[in-house]
Parts: sequence; structure tokens; C-alpha cells
Amino acid sequence: MPEIRVTPLGAGQDVGRSCILVSIAGKNVMLDCGMHMGFSDDRRFPDFSYITRSGRLTDFLDCVIISHFHLDHCGALPYFSEMVGYDGPIYMTQPTQAICPILLEDYRKIAVDKKGEANFFTSQMIKDCMKKVVAVHLHQTVQVDDELEIKAYYAGHVLGAAMFQIKVGSESVVYTGDYNMTPDRHLGAAWIDKCRPNLLITESTYATTIRDSKRCRERDFLKKVHETVERGGKVLIPVFALGRAQELCILLETFWERMDLKAPIYFSTGLTEKANHYYKLFIPWTNQKIRKTFVQRNMFEFKHVKAFDRAFADSPGPMVVFATPGMLHAGQSLQIFRKWAGNEKNMVIMPGYCVQGTVGHKILSGQRKLEMEGRQVLEVKMQVEYMSFSAHADAKGIMQLVGQAEPENVLLVHGEAKKMEFLKQKIEQEFRVSCYMPANGETVTLPTSPSIPVGISLGLLKRELAQGLLPDSKKPRLLHGTLIMKDSNFRLVSSEQALKELGLAEHQLRFTCRVHLHDTRKEQETAVRVYSHLKSVLKDHCVQHLPDGSVTVESILIQAAAHSEDPGTKVLLVSWTYQDEELGSYLTSLLKKGLPQAS
Amino acid sequence: MRGPAEGHRSPQACDWPACAQKIVGHIEDSLCSTAVPQVTQALSVLTTAFGHCHGLWTQGLWVRLSPLVARLLEKDPVPASHSLVDLLLSVARSAPSSYRGLWETLAQTLSHLSPTQAGPLALGILKLQDCPQALRTQAFGILLQPLACVLEAAAQAPGPPGLLEGAAGNSMTVDTLLSSKSACVGLLCCALAHLGLLQPLPQRPSPWPQAPLLGAAVTILRLCSGSAAPTSDVGSRLCAILVGCGRVQRAALDFLGALSQGTGPQELVTQVFSVLLEYLVSPESSSMVLKKAFQATLRWLLSSPKTPGCCDLDPHTQLFLRELLPVLQKRLCSPCWEVRDSGLEFLTQMTRHWGGQAGFRQALLASEVPELTKQLLRDPESYVRASAVTATGQLSSWGLCATPAGHECPGAQQESLLVELLHILSTDSEGFPRRAVMQVFTEWLRDGHADVAEDAEQFVAGALQAASRDLDWEVRAQGLELALVFLEQLLGQRGSHCPYAVALPETAPPGVLAQALQVLCRVQLFEFAFRALFDCDRPVAQKSCDLLLFLRAKAAPCGSPQEAGDSPNVASVEATLQRWQAGEQGQPLGYLEPGAVVALLRSVDLEGLRDTLAESSDHVEKSPQSLLQDMLAAVGVLGENEADCY
Repeated sequence: MPEIRVTPLGAGQDVGRSCILVSIAGKNVMLDCGMHMGFSDDRRFPDFSYITRSGRLTDFLDCVIISHFHLDHCGALPYFSEMVGYDGPIYMTQPTQAICPILLEDYRKIAVDKKGEANFFTSQMIKDCMKKVVAVHLHQTVQVDDELEIKAYYAGHVLGAAMFQIKVGSESVVYTGDYNMTPDRHLGAAWIDKCRPNLLITESTYATTIRDSKRCRERDFLKKVHETVERGGKVLIPVFALGRAQELCILLETFWERMDLKAPIYFSTGLTEKANHYYKLFIPWTNQKIRKTFVQRNMFEFKHVKAFDRAFADSPGPMVVFATPGMLHAGQSLQIFRKWAGNEKNMVIMPGYCVQGTVGHKILSGQRKLEMEGRQVLEVKMQVEYMSFSAHADAKGIMQLVGQAEPENVLLVHGEAKKMEFLKQKIEQEFRVSCYMPANGETVTLPTSPSIPVGISLGLLKRELAQGLLPDSKKPRLLHGTLIMKDSNFRLVSSEQALKELGLAEHQLRFTCRVHLHDTRKEQETAVRVYSHLKSVLKDHCVQHLPDGSVTVESILIQAAAHSEDPGTKVLLVSWTYQDEELGSYLTSLLKKGLPQAS
Repeated sequence: MRGPAEGHRSPQACDWPACAQKIVGHIEDSLCSTAVPQVTQALSVLTTAFGHCHGLWTQGLWVRLSPLVARLLEKDPVPASHSLVDLLLSVARSAPSSYRGLWETLAQTLSHLSPTQAGPLALGILKLQDCPQALRTQAFGILLQPLACVLEAAAQAPGPPGLLEGAAGNSMTVDTLLSSKSACVGLLCCALAHLGLLQPLPQRPSPWPQAPLLGAAVTILRLCSGSAAPTSDVGSRLCAILVGCGRVQRAALDFLGALSQGTGPQELVTQVFSVLLEYLVSPESSSMVLKKAFQATLRWLLSSPKTPGCCDLDPHTQLFLRELLPVLQKRLCSPCWEVRDSGLEFLTQMTRHWGGQAGFRQALLASEVPELTKQLLRDPESYVRASAVTATGQLSSWGLCATPAGHECPGAQQESLLVELLHILSTDSEGFPRRAVMQVFTEWLRDGHADVAEDAEQFVAGALQAASRDLDWEVRAQGLELALVFLEQLLGQRGSHCPYAVALPETAPPGVLAQALQVLCRVQLFEFAFRALFDCDRPVAQKSCDLLLFLRAKAAPCGSPQEAGDSPNVASVEATLQRWQAGEQGQPLGYLEPGAVVALLRSVDLEGLRDTLAESSDHVEKSPQSLLQDMLAAVGVLGENEADCY
């Protein structure tokens, strides 16, 4: 029985460390290879030993697909390919291919810098891993091998994010990665065609939420920044270099322009220029508005946002600074935070979630006295704000996507179990499909009905056409032929051709049937009555009365005989070849009804 | 679970505690299940158990469960075969002799599994230290089978003895090879990879069939490239399946590379080089295939024998180099960054090993490779620029950098390279090329590169100045590495790192020290090092701390602390340092007198700083008190925000 098997190694009833193994028609595909921001031990990477303990990963996996550049989807990739050992192809879109190594490098530097980890992947490993990447275009069908093909669809969420359809023969799985069904300031909405996959694997971050309008959140953000700057304070926005940072830059840039504000906006680290460079380079991946205005003005060429220098942090007067990393756990954002934390006029805005243990997490949970290195205590007097700008589909969006793709089954990943449970019920009720939510390491098996392609011989088709019936895709039609299997292929051919190809002689096969008729007349007369009855009913067929008294209709032979025990009953012996089976059974049933009374 | 080990009684399942009985019962049920995932789970649990525990109870467990495991082999196809292989190997690796009937089960499994499934098991068996010879022969046969089939199928005429006498035509292997493209590719890749892993191991089978294996690798590569034309039916079918197959090409090139560790008849070695060249030239080769081809070529080149009595390359290699360099030249112009980069990495490695060989130098200088390498310093891709920096650095170390006239470089040319690298260091927008420049500079200084040695002071001053401004902490850390090399050259090597060595004061003679300090002040090494001491990136601060501690140890006898410590110069510098420590790094340190430096080194608590830095920068956050604060503060505040990090 063919089946599709899905095992999450990460992101099963959890957010982070996305990594899902899919086995479809004997092909094994790994979807995403992420790390978990909440852990710094073994748990931060997926447990690849689940795939094999003594074998090589390359022998078990046909390909790896990365949906987008966020680290919870690609952070374990160099570890997986260079340290555990995988030599096969890794597929991702072009923007992901360009941006992924930057973020991996950033992640590596922080891990080595912050934790002093010695056994971490190196820059060389990131490079070697990126050499295994094959870039895919949107809507381009990529043939991984003779049987396995993949196709990417636009997913919104971040630059270059894609959903992937994985197909082997007639079986298919769609993996959404992270997606957003509503366009934002710089990206469009996710879209997929009605591909009716056997299984749709979808993220479910906001499984129970219907999110409020993003405009409200944006207004709130601008108001807070504006108020702080007006009263002469400094605003620190810790961000990761790519993604939300660009969205917020566009937002502030437009606002500054409109309000004619003079306070400087800075973006720290050399990553900015590079990040903006990629946004410019991959303009077709952004939303319609940005693409349209691109000719007159590139949205990513900021007039007000300038590069930050370490010395600026000590300058007096108001300013807004975007600094990396986003959780205030090391580097420049933490350094600036320490300088500005003591002044109540200043503000820090956290535009995303912070992992436990980071300074970001502490201040968001309301702590105001932080113990820093060297027994120093930092008193936080500045205002602390949290704002969510994450770009995931909400419950409505997820339902919309399920409706769009029309899958046979749905599997939820990248969410919390409790919320998934709710969405699962909703999907099952509304779409009448099975919905699964496996935990990490748990396998879901879905039986599929195999579809076997059969070729039809030209001769057979021509014969059908000769009957004057043109093929019509909407009306199925019965076609008789002989199915032959040769060289692992199935073909439907005419019986003559089958005999010829297989070198077989034709055997005649006749079916016979007895029909009892109540008739006191002689056998010859009964035969005549049968003849005239059939002649009148079967106008399109050749009905003959032979000299020996028997009646023929095409290849069907009918003979009348007396009943050995009952002289008032005649026995009709009907015999036909298998080619005329339909007509034969029709005649039998006709005769069983009896003959019309002679007038 | 503790078994009845103490009493050395025979392990009876009935002695086990109720919970253990329950677990084992569940595993038994799972092993009998028709659902594959359940069987897989049970096998995984057992693999973990046998991998971690050895005792009488595991022996008892094996006695109880091995019949169920053996029953799995009767099914067709064998369910969860790779988990089964994991389990058997886990048991075999622990203490095979204590598990009754294990060798028989292994032999039985080898013959029941399909050739592809049996591969990992065969490799595992051959890696075992202690295992019956018959089983080893059976396992090795399984790994050799696919290659033997290929060799037989591709043979034009009955040739020399093949890989496996009499067993070459194993029907199951031939069937798998010919059944479908994916089966064929899978089987060949596994066999090649497993044999490649086995090759360097001391316990590999002996005699090792080096020559037939070389022949098989070359044949497979030829089938893949379409340059082989087998006449047999099986051969042409294989050819149709394999032609253009990147996966097999990659595996075969890796294997060929691994085989370079052994020797082979000259005729075969010539074939190896010719097939490698074919791949390097072919426009059909993908970037990954080219990378592997470069790697295999390098391994073969470096393992090629030297001509007896002469330190130069042997004539075959020389001939090959002459053909190879134009190909490398072409590849350095590839539109694909991956190919340019792999080409540069290859060149760097080759130069590192052969930079002194006359034959290599001659061939290289006659080609345009050095010139092209220099041009790649301006490549649009940062990875390539970084590799080009490393390659030119290496070429220049051997006096092989590009010159218009094709002569080995004169001083002027060299200087321009130095200027160009300094330019990259101060202007390149990406970290990789800047890091590569600092590495090259450090290497040049360490190896006493002629042009650096000419005016080392100016060279170090320039490099440190550029590095100190760098945003990338790894460039700054590399700057400190360079500073350390410079210090060691001035003051002598650092002491032994052996913790048991008797620590004798290794101070420098006062005359040398005073002179060295003057030099260090002139190149502004102290400004760089003290700034790095308070760097926001921990590895930089750590490195700087080590450097200053080393310097302090060397400078111990120099001057008395009082006289220098009281000078106004020192006081203002100390004040500046305190401001730096507080995070205000705007103000420069200014010119320092050697005396003030020594005083400063004594006054700063370097040991204390080193201890603080040795703790990871999140140690405060990870402390129990901090975690408690988190827990108290987290109640009901953050629940909704968890997903927003991504």
C-alpha cells in the first residue's frame, strides 16, 4: 500500500527548530533545517540521529528544502551538511540563498562571541554548505531526479519566503513554511494554486488568533517613537538585521518625511547596507506598491536612515537607533542599552519575542534592576515597550490557504499544541478532511491510492475516432483494449496488437446459455418466431436464419431444441464469442422475457 | 534498571520489576506490529538501550527479543530495515560475544536485506574489532558486488581478474542495478561511500583490492560522463541510467579521492588523471561535481610519487600540470561563484604544498593563473574575494604573484599587492575578505616574508590601524594575533603552555626590552591592545588580555613602578582607560612613553579581567538567581508573545 509518512524532527507542536521529514512514494525529503532560539544545548538543533544512526544522511535523503532565511528554518543547515554530513542538493529561492549565509554568519559570530563555543560551525563550513544550494524560481518545476519534482510558490512573510510543492508521480505534499496571507509594507500576500495535494503541511503560529489591523500597531509605534523624540529622548530598537528591520525603516522614513522631522535615525552594523542591497536586488519579490514606485524611487534607499557609528551613542539630543541583535543578548544593541537605560526620557522598543535568559526577556517581564557582568547593577529607568510585527497568517489566513489548495489532508506544525487542537477541529469541521498535529519524533502515516499511468496505442485511439466520436475531456468514455505490461510500462492496445506483440495465437472462446421458452410448436417454428422477433428488435444488426434452422446475430448462434421431459417447453441454446459478450448477454436477457404472441 | 548482576544468576525475565516487564511487553507487541512506525520506535528504543547499557539484564533482554527480531527478517520487504541495522550494530558494538546467536543473526540479516539496505550493516560489521572472518568476507562481498557488476558489464572483452571472482554476477545486485534509475543510483552511491569510508581504516579487509577498485571508480565516472561505450546489454543499460547523473559523479569522485592513499599501476594512475581532467574540462560538470573533482585531483597530485633522487615532481605529474593549468584558468573565469571559489581553494592548497617545486613554479608562471587570481581580488562575490586574498597571499609568499612580463615578482610588484590588500582591509564592505587579509598578513609576518621584513614596523602599524577600526570582531581578534606574532619576534616566544612545566621567569634582557617597547609604542600597538581590552566582543577582549599579560611577564624587571606611575602621563591614560571601560571609547590614548606603558601594565588588574572574561557573557543571565527573577517576573506577562521571534 503506498503511503506518505511525515515525521517532525522539530516544530512538532512547538515553535522553533523547524525540520520535517517527508517520505513520499519512496523519496525522502527534509523540509527546513532550523535551530531553536530557546536552547543553547543539544536541543537547539533537530535530532538528526532519528534519520539514521549508522548510515549516512546522503543515502537516506533525496533532497533538503529550505522555505526561508529565518534561523528557526535554516540555522542548523551548516551543522547538518558539514558536521553531521550531507552531500546532496539543498533547494531554496534566490533571495534565501543570498541572505541565508549572512544570517548564519551572524548567528555563528554571536554563538562564538557570547558563549565562547569552540565546537561550532565555521565560516568555511557555511561557505561549503552554501555551495550545495540549488536556487529555484517561483512557479518553476524543478526535477530533483527522474521521479521527484518540486515547485515554489510565493509565501510573503519575509523576502524570498516560499511554499513548496513536492510531487512524485500523482502524489504530492505542500509545505507552507511560514506565510502571510495579507500584504504588508514591503511584501505581498501568499498565494498557491488549486493543486489538491494529498497533504498540506501548514504552520499554525496564530492558530487561534484573528489579528487586529496592522495599521493600528503601526500608528501606535510611530506615536511612541515621535513622543520620545519630541521630549528629547533616544529610542533604541533592537532588531535582527533582515526582515522586520526593513519594514520599520520604511515606516519611519515615510513618517519622518511627512512630519518633516529632523532627529537622526541610525542603523547599526555593516549589515544594513548589505541587507538593503538585497532588498533592492530582489525587488520582484516585494509587494506591488514597492515594485510600482521602484522606477521613480527605490523604497530601500533611505534618506533619513543613516549608518551608525559607536561614537554617536554618546552624542546629546534625540535620535532613533536600530541595533543588532534583536534580543539585547550581546553586541551593539546591548552596549547602547547599557548607556541609555538610566535616563527615563529614553525608550527601548522590542519589536519581537525574546528568549528567556536574555536582557530583552528580563526587561519585557518587568525587571528594572539588572545584574550585569562584574557585579554591576544596571537600573533601567528608560521606558520599555513591546510591539508585535511578526508576519504570520492568522486563523482566518490559514483557513483561506486550506480552501485555496484543497488538500485531502492537513498537518499542523510550528505552533503550540493547545492552539493547534482548536484549529484542527475547525479545519476538520469546515473542510471535512483529516487534520493531524504530530509531536516531534511522532510519525503520521497517510495511505494514498496509487495512480498508475497507462499509455494508449495510437491504433486503438484511431479505431475509436473512426467510430466518429471525438474525445472529450469532460465526458469519460469506455474503451476496450488489452493492458500489457512491458519494460515496467503499462499500455492499452487492441487485442490484435497485443497478440502480435506477445507472439500469442488467438483462441476462440464461446459462452453458451440455455433459455427455456414455453412454446408447444415444433422447434423449426420456434426458431422462425425467434428470428422474426430479433429482426424486429435489432434493426442495426445483421440477423440471419440459416438453412439448418439456427438463427445468427453477428457471431451469436441461437438453436431451438425440444425439452427432453416437457414437450410444451423449448430450449434455446444461445452461444457467443467473448468479443460479442455485451450483445450476447443482451440477447439472453431479451429472450428470457419470452417471445411476443403471434398476431 | 538493574539486573540480578550481583548474584550472577542466569537472567530470568520473571525476576524483573513489574515496570520493566511492562516496558518489555510493550516492545514485544510493537515488534510484532504491522505498523512500520511502531516497529521503528521499538527498534530505536532497543538501540538506545543496547548502546548505553551492558549487563546480564541486556543479555536476558536479547535472549527474549532476538527471536522477534529474527522474525522481522522473514517479512518481505523487511520493515524498518535501517532501524534494524542500527539495533544489530549497536548490539554487536557492545559486547558481541555475550549475545548468543548474534553472528548468525547478522549473517542472516546480510543475506535477507536488499543490497542497498545491507550496505550500512556490511560497513558496520567490517568496522568491528572482533568478528568472525566468514562474516567479514560476506560483508565485504556485499560492498564490492555493485562495483564488480559495473566492471563486468563495462568490460570490452574478458579482462584481468575482476573484483569478486565468481560472484560478480550476483543476480540480486544486477536486478537492483537495472530495475530503475533511482535504485541503481542509490546502490552505487552507497557502495562507493561505504568503501570510501572503509579505505583509511586499519581494520579494512586485507588484501585490499586497490587496482580493481580504481578501475571501477574510473569506469563509473566514464559511464557517467558518457565517454565509456560498453558493448554488453547490461553495460549499455547502465550507461543509459548513469549518464549525466550528478549524484553518482559526486560519490565516485569522493571515492576516487579516498583511493589516492593507496598505490596503483602506472597505467591506472594515468587513467585516473585523465578522467579527472575530463571532468574538470567538461562543460557538463555541475559546480559541486567540479568542487569534488578539484578535491580528488589535489589528493592525487599530493600523493604522487617523487622521482627517486630528485626533489622535483615526476614527469607524469609535470605533464598533467601543463594540461591542468589552462583548465584552472578557464574555471577561474566561470560565471558561477562556487566554481571560481573552488578553483581558488585548489590553487591555494597546491601552492602551499608545491610553491617551492621548480616544475610547478615554471608551469604556473607560464600560465595566466596568477594574473587571474589577482583580478579576482575585485570579484563581486565576497567569498571569492576572500579566497582570492588567501590565494594571492600564498602565491606571493612563494614569489609567484602576477607580473606582466611573466617573471617572478620584483619588489615594486609586491608592494602594490601589499597596498591592494591594505586597501581591501580598510574598504571592503564584507568581513570575509578583510579577515582573509589579516590572516595573510599574520602569515607573512610569521614566515618572514621578504617585503614585510624590509619594514616590519610600518607594515604592522598600517595593519593594526586598519584592523582597529573594523566593525567585525574577528578582524580585530586577528589583528591581536598579528600583534602577538610581532611581539614574539621582538621579545622571544611565549612560554610553554604545559600546565606542569616549572614556570621560570622568562623576562627579556633590559636593553632588548627598552628597544622593543619603543617600537611597540611607535606602531601604536598599545592603543590597539588597550582599546581591545574593553571591546564589547568578548573574544577580542580575551585575546588582548592574554597579549598584555604576556607583555607584562616579559617586562617585569623594567623600571620601578613608582617613578613611572606618578607621572601625569600615566594618570591621564588611566583616566582614559576607565572611561573606555565605562563604554566611552571616543577619546584616543595619545602617544605613550615606554615607562608609562610598563606602569600601566602593572596597574591594570589583568588577572581579574581574565577571570571575568573566561566566563561566558551570559553567565549572569544563566545564574540561579537570575533564573528565579525570570520565573517570578514571567507570571502571566509573556504568554502571547512567544511566536514573534520568527
